[in-house]
Amino acid sequence: MTLLLGALTLGLILSLLAMGVYVSFRIFSIPDITTDGSITLGAAVAAVLLVGGTSPILATAAGALAGAVAGALAGVIHTRFKINALLAGILVMTALYSVNLHVMGRSNVPLLQANTFATQGERLGQALFGAGPLHVLGWPVTPGDLAVLALAFLAAVAAGVTLYLFFRTDVGTAMRATGDNPQMVRALGADVDRYTILGLALSNGLVALSGALLAQYQGFADAQMGIGMIVWGLASVIIGEALTGSRSLGLALAGAVLGSVLFRLLVAVALRWGLNPNDLKLITALFVFSALVLPRLLARRRGGAPAA
Amino acid sequence: MLELQGLRQTFNPGTVNEVRALQGVDLTLDEGSFIVVLGTNGSGKSTLLNAVAGSFFLDEGRIRLDGHDVTRWPEHRRASLIGRVFQNPFSGTAPGMSIAENFALAARRGRPRGLGWALAPDLMGALRERVAGLRMGLEDRLDNAIGSLSGGQRQALTLLMATWLRPRLLLLDEHTAALDPKSADQVISLSDEVIRRDGLTTLMVTHSMAQAVAYGDRIIMMHRGRVVHDFRGAEKRRLRQEDLIDRFDEIRRREQLDEGAAAMLRELYV
Ligand SMILES: Nc1ncnc2c1ncn2[C@@H]1O[C@H](COP(=O)(O)OP(=O)(O)OP(=O)(O)O)[C@@H](O)[C@H]1O
Ligand SMILES: [Mg+2]
Repeated sequence: MTLLLGALTLGLILSLLAMGVYVSFRIFSIPDITTDGSITLGAAVAAVLLVGGTSPILATAAGALAGAVAGALAGVIHTRFKINALLAGILVMTALYSVNLHVMGRSNVPLLQANTFATQGERLGQALFGAGPLHVLGWPVTPGDLAVLALAFLAAVAAGVTLYLFFRTDVGTAMRATGDNPQMVRALGADVDRYTILGLALSNGLVALSGALLAQYQGFADAQMGIGMIVWGLASVIIGEALTGSRSLGLALAGAVLGSVLFRLLVAVALRWGLNPNDLKLITALFVFSALVLPRLLARRRGGAPAA
Repeated sequence: MLELQGLRQTFNPGTVNEVRALQGVDLTLDEGSFIVVLGTNGSGKSTLLNAVAGSFFLDEGRIRLDGHDVTRWPEHRRASLIGRVFQNPFSGTAPGMSIAENFALAARRGRPRGLGWALAPDLMGALRERVAGLRMGLEDRLDNAIGSLSGGQRQALTLLMATWLRPRLLLLDEHTAALDPKSADQVISLSDEVIRRDGLTTLMVTHSMAQAVAYGDRIIMMHRGRVVHDFRGAEKRRLRQEDLIDRFDEIRRREQLDEGAAAMLRELYV
């Protein structure tokens, strides 16, 4: 049960990453590797502030903001300096590795003594339900774990709803159109470069928010924690699309959350069954590869077959 | 209204692919005039419209529009004055977004975009009415992705979007060329209707002689990056399709003559 609860909480926290990747990859069609650096940046900034005694809300917001700045930087490099989006992301990600080490002052910042959203959640759980284990569907769970899960759920839902509402405003609509048809957006008087920068800032802000929460949940920030995160985000987005089937905005965002949770559950089960943790990234990469290639192969098979 | 002075544009200068697409175009459009642009393939018609719209910055020349010198304005800034319909029905709309959302974008052309609700109720009301006016039955499908519509429907909607806020200048680049004859007729007469109703200053590129004689109040003919003929007023009204075809033949004959002369000179002196 603890395992399930943990996977759910982690899935919800990383659903912010999935939403961020949805923005860059699905709306702007940019596989933005800045993600790997900005999730660590969010974690690093939040961790250092938390150790210094800043309140969890402020520290988390600062982490998200730092990620947004990193994303905007990648956007500027891509649009203003006409550098390929992938390369712009690689540059910023690489630079962020050093930045993150500087922010943290070392390669790992533990949060054991710090007051974080996780410790606050545990305190809240104990205040509401007492210290003893609760029984959910007959399984014992600690009130603290349950409260942390609830907080993660709230964060995911709040981010999803805010994002959905934002994408229905004038700015948000123009942003979505920028990914869909930049020529038209220019002809309708919107600065495509500006919206791309804004979009990457939004994406990486979400990713860094996810990183800030992740650090608090796992109890540390680490310079290596971002490696391969974009692929995890992609996996979640793809699973989400398979689940909800539709590309409509609301369903896609809900799908990213569901996909992230399901992905974490699958990972937890696989690890339980004895999957070597070292193989996790390899398997995720293979999964994303096949999810990207399979639809095309199937279409070709179908298109190539003689008409009946 | 629109004043073009000495426009010159060379693509890929100094390479084997060098193209002198505009070689000194001067043109003045009066307020409310509807100009048809004719010319052979590659004569620079699209380049001229793109230069006015700001898709690229000119090598030389000045563009004044509605009292502003817009020569160095980026495309999105000029869009506050210009409405555009492209040849390709896929160019003018965002396929993955709904009809209504596409119009929400058009309704803020050249205006600041903030955190206001894109599909505001008053926009939706006006939209339903205007789209119903197209008599294509699209008013009940405003939530459908625009990518699911036919080319003719998309061009009609793009025209409506381009003129939703009255543009100071309307640019139409072969906007019926990719359509079947029936849709093309529908879209061209809709264009004429909107242009007349709102008194829009318009530049329309076409390859159709029939459209050129039937619509507009002035015809310019381009060749090799220059304006070579300019018919207006009574002359434009008297013009028949055969006259235009004659002019094209004349251009072609002169071309062959030039090439013949060049070949002769080469034989004599090289
Ligand atoms: N961006 C560009 N880069 C390089 N060459 C270009 C570019 N745009 C146009 N050209 C070239 O400039 C010349 C004029 O092209 P343009 O598209 O203006 O012709 P057009 O009169 O619109 O022809 P058509 O009737 O075929 O549409 C062509 O030789 C074209 O290949
Ligand atoms: Mg053309």
